[in-house]
Amino acid sequence: MSARRLPSGGRIDRSQVIRFTWDDRAMSGHPGDSLASALMANGEQVLGRSFKYHRPRGVMSAGVEESGAMVTVGEGARQDPNVKAPMQELFNGLTATGQNAWPNVRFDFGEVNDMLGRFLVAGFYYKTFMGIPPFEWGKGTGAWMWYEKFIRKAAGMGSASREADPDHYEHGHDFCDLLVVGSGPAGMSSALAAAEAGLDVMLIEQDWELGGSFLSQTGSESKNRCADMVASLNNAGVRIMLRTTAFGLYDYGVAGLLERVTDHLQNPDRYQPRQRFWNIRAKQTILASGALERHIAFGNNDRPGVMNAAAGRAYVNRYGVLPGERVVVATNNDSAYKCAIDLACAGADVTLLDARSTLPGELAEQAGEAGVSLRTNTVPLKAKGRSSVNGLELAVVSGSGWRARGAESCDAVLVSGGWSPVVHLMSHRGVKPKWDSENACFLAPSRHETIQMAGSAAGYWRAADCELSGIAAGSVAASALGKKAKTLVLPPIGGWDLAIKPVYEIRVPGKKLKCLVDPQHDVTAEDIRLAHREGFVSVEHLKRYTTLGMATDGGKMGNVIGLALMAEALGREIPEVGTTTFRPPYTPVSIGALRGRSVDKHFRPLRRTPMHDWNLSHGATMTMAGLWHRPWYFARLSETISEAYVRETETTRKTVGLCDVTSLGKIAVQGPDATEFLNRIYTNPFAKLPIGKARYGIMLRDDGFVMDDGTTWRLSETEYFMTTTTAHAGKVMVWLEELLQTRWQDLKVHVTSVSEQWAGCAVAGPESRKVLAACVEDASVMDNEAFPFMGVIETKLQGGIPCRIARISFSGELAYETYVPSDYAAAMMDLLWPKAEQSGGCLYGLEALGAMRIEKGHVTGAELDGRVTIEDAGLGKMASPKKSFIGSALRSRPDMTREDRPKLVGIFPKDRSQTFNAGAILCSVDQVSGLGEGWITGVTHSPAKGHWIGIGFISGGHQAWAEKTAIAADPVRKGDVEVEIVSPHMYDPSGEKMYG
Amino acid sequence: MVDRISALDGHYQSGRFGTDGDTDVGLQLIRDLQLQQVAAWPDTIKKAADAAAKAAGADEAPAPGKAISGERGAILRSEPLKWWLVGVDSMQIDSGQGAVLDLSHSRTQIRITGPKSTTLLNRLLPLDLRDTNFREGAVASSAMHHVGVTLWHSASGYELFIPRGFALSIWEILFESALQFGVEVV
Repeated sequence: MSARRLPSGGRIDRSQVIRFTWDDRAMSGHPGDSLASALMANGEQVLGRSFKYHRPRGVMSAGVEESGAMVTVGEGARQDPNVKAPMQELFNGLTATGQNAWPNVRFDFGEVNDMLGRFLVAGFYYKTFMGIPPFEWGKGTGAWMWYEKFIRKAAGMGSASREADPDHYEHGHDFCDLLVVGSGPAGMSSALAAAEAGLDVMLIEQDWELGGSFLSQTGSESKNRCADMVASLNNAGVRIMLRTTAFGLYDYGVAGLLERVTDHLQNPDRYQPRQRFWNIRAKQTILASGALERHIAFGNNDRPGVMNAAAGRAYVNRYGVLPGERVVVATNNDSAYKCAIDLACAGADVTLLDARSTLPGELAEQAGEAGVSLRTNTVPLKAKGRSSVNGLELAVVSGSGWRARGAESCDAVLVSGGWSPVVHLMSHRGVKPKWDSENACFLAPSRHETIQMAGSAAGYWRAADCELSGIAAGSVAASALGKKAKTLVLPPIGGWDLAIKPVYEIRVPGKKLKCLVDPQHDVTAEDIRLAHREGFVSVEHLKRYTTLGMATDGGKMGNVIGLALMAEALGREIPEVGTTTFRPPYTPVSIGALRGRSVDKHFRPLRRTPMHDWNLSHGATMTMAGLWHRPWYFARLSETISEAYVRETETTRKTVGLCDVTSLGKIAVQGPDATEFLNRIYTNPFAKLPIGKARYGIMLRDDGFVMDDGTTWRLSETEYFMTTTTAHAGKVMVWLEELLQTRWQDLKVHVTSVSEQWAGCAVAGPESRKVLAACVEDASVMDNEAFPFMGVIETKLQGGIPCRIARISFSGELAYETYVPSDYAAAMMDLLWPKAEQSGGCLYGLEALGAMRIEKGHVTGAELDGRVTIEDAGLGKMASPKKSFIGSALRSRPDMTREDRPKLVGIFPKDRSQTFNAGAILCSVDQVSGLGEGWITGVTHSPAKGHWIGIGFISGGHQAWAEKTAIAADPVRKGDVEVEIVSPHMYDPSGEKMYG
Repeated sequence: MVDRISALDGHYQSGRFGTDGDTDVGLQLIRDLQLQQVAAWPDTIKKAADAAAKAAGADEAPAPGKAISGERGAILRSEPLKWWLVGVDSMQIDSGQGAVLDLSHSRTQIRITGPKSTTLLNRLLPLDLRDTNFREGAVASSAMHHVGVTLWHSASGYELFIPRGFALSIWEILFESALQFGVEVV
């Protein structure tokens, strides 16, 4: 006989029917059902297969600790494995299937593993690393590479979909005075007390209904009490979040929540995310997270039909499902009596086994009146049956242990081995829970930081005490935030009529039993003892060796029992063995929720220049430069990238080219001390830079290495416009702020990033002056004499567009950098491009820009990688010997001035038809090994030279390699190429074109 | 003078979008932003504040984290030594008292309104926007989807200032997040 739906009772709506499928079979349930309750009501017993032994499993709990009914929900791209059936709200159209079984969970060939169980004990997998004895003894694990996949296939849980996740997820932030986790009697009462005292309260509940243990109770009194509290919470303005799990607590009152927004809906609004990942910042937190009922390790304690007693009570009272007709309730404490009474009242034939020698008077009396048969000193020894329970062998007290005696015919076994308060979230804060031997459980401190424990999470077992502790915690939170609140006297922790008798495992002499400690990972009591025999002492090592508590329940089911068995093996008490540290998440969090909207185009924010659309409409192929999207090349017709950039380079050198250089960092330096400030950060003198002139500058770090380079334009007596490399814009800005705020607070200087304010276009090539002259309102400002090399003007483009232009060159040609306020960028390009086109010019991208700068030997972020001194970069003459500047002291260290340091050089292939790659290592011909003599940072085909060239660094610089051949070693890509080392200034070394 | 082209032009479509039912969020691009930054020296805060207030037509310049609206524009205290003048096209100050910088093109201004505007912002912004903490007249800098932004609670709603280069990216994620509330793009 299996479970059945009762004709009445529970919180389900029998007037409505929900259709769903289980393993492709149509079934039905009612609103209010969980998937587990509906499957039980449909007579399903085997709902899963265990991780390693493929043992049949049924529903073992009614909550997040479920280790039996783990199923796969959804199909195709929405296939979601390892869903705990008791936590899955039933909805129309839900599809669920069994997992880790073939052909199905009811008949699984993998069950053969159970018969081979003695070979698959703890550490089995690790031992396979040693190879197959005796063939591989001492030789390593050659065969392992072959058989590893079979081992992996034989064990496991559900499979995730291989398809892309079609759902979207999002993050959220919220703030409150008080965050209450859990909506049982303690949680609701604390939220209410705090809200009534004037706090802004958020109440978090992982279930789809408020109430916690109220939901599992029968009778109108508790129902009404629960309903009244919910109404009061709403009236008090408490912000309630259902289907939301607080999975972690972090510094400064930050809680991580996972909200399951649409997992319970058949046709969710397509604009709603499937799940939402919350960051809550709370001034105070109350953890009313309840307690989990422990099982007891007896023989076959994982058979379908064995579940914890509180679950049995939940199924009968909340879901109207009777777990069995002939039920044995086994307990070592008072709590299971209510379960036995409720089941008996619902029509079951109930026998209650109490491990204790005496019965709790009043409870036992009520149980007797309800028709429950009571036995003392009796425990379950071994469940009989395979796919379902059909009987239970019993044991009775024998001295300090147990001996087998008798059996009971039954179809369900409900077990209560005591309660473990949910201290996980407090544990996340680095608090070690302490063992309370009187209540046989770990308890967290009642208060830590701004966090309080309340209710059964704090060790209160009676509902009335839980409510009281909740009110007290709410009042404390209110007082902490300056509100008036009453002080309450709390009863002592615990609250059972008769003390619990610690029982963790039932063993009798001469009888081999498979007693599961951690059912989800198939860890048995014997595995714990094996680990002990193999020398494991620390609980942390035990956990890793046996995998106890490392499954998706994180040790909720088995940790305490495992500790108790380890303590017994070591001859110590539980507190001496220690406890494991609970870490986030409390329950699994999907990767989708973690990433939120940061996927696909939102994987990272895209930074567009103001010419972005203009560039695209003029044929740009874009590339990423940091977060920037920049034009890579402008292909014409069917040009390849190589053909395009060579053409762009040739055209620019011959006539004129336009390039979007907006991504360069731009910083406004303002103030009476701006000149002094620049003079301190740049290696070269800035004190006498005239207004209307720009200067190329190098800045070093404190340690003397080059940080960045760029030009700085003097706009007025007190204002400069600094440009930086694209790569180092942010770093330079932060560095300048740091200097002003920490070292030179006396300087009256402000620095402000204006990278977004100004859009820039490089106009380069012999025709550049002509193009610009045709675009400015007053062409005379472009005269060679009026506007010399390194000159700066502020003028207007036609149409009244304000602009600032500097005659500076990265390409090595006569060139100008032209900046306009960003909203005028497209207008600027619409002016410049027709004139450039008339001159036979082109648009060019990053690839041509790189080709020209390599020809010219100009450094970029690729060269200035933090290892390069100013001398290494060939710019030593820019370091003033007459002034002090950042890095001036430490750049003189002996190692920084070695003659054989790698220095900037140009690189030609010896055979001019050859090419080589950036990243290749430069070696001497006779020693192509190790770190080599240098490296290549950039390569290109040089239209000016007619062959491949590179830029990089090599020991001693190009003079040391004159007449010598080097090897560009690139073993994993291109192999070795013979190269010549030349001056880095490979194009127009005298600068005639630039100055022209 | 040619027209200014916003970072959202070509991508900004007005209309009603998202889930059926109520329209709980309004999004509006505020075009042609005029934004002057006024920076003071540590010993000239009062003088620079007075100059900023005068330029905006306000009685005084606000304290950190606050904004004040004047006859000609609003003043936002963006940093301890800096104010933003919104709606003011130019301003002069002696260099001994402070520095003025035109940032009109550096930011894109989005106005967020409606009963779910706070909820929407908190999908992306880790700021406590509850009425008890971020009333009208409050200003704060924070990060939205990794991008530094400035938020001002004005009389019209929330005014979000986004660095121009990131504006379209932030607009897209803001708009997509708003669809669940029903959104009117003005």
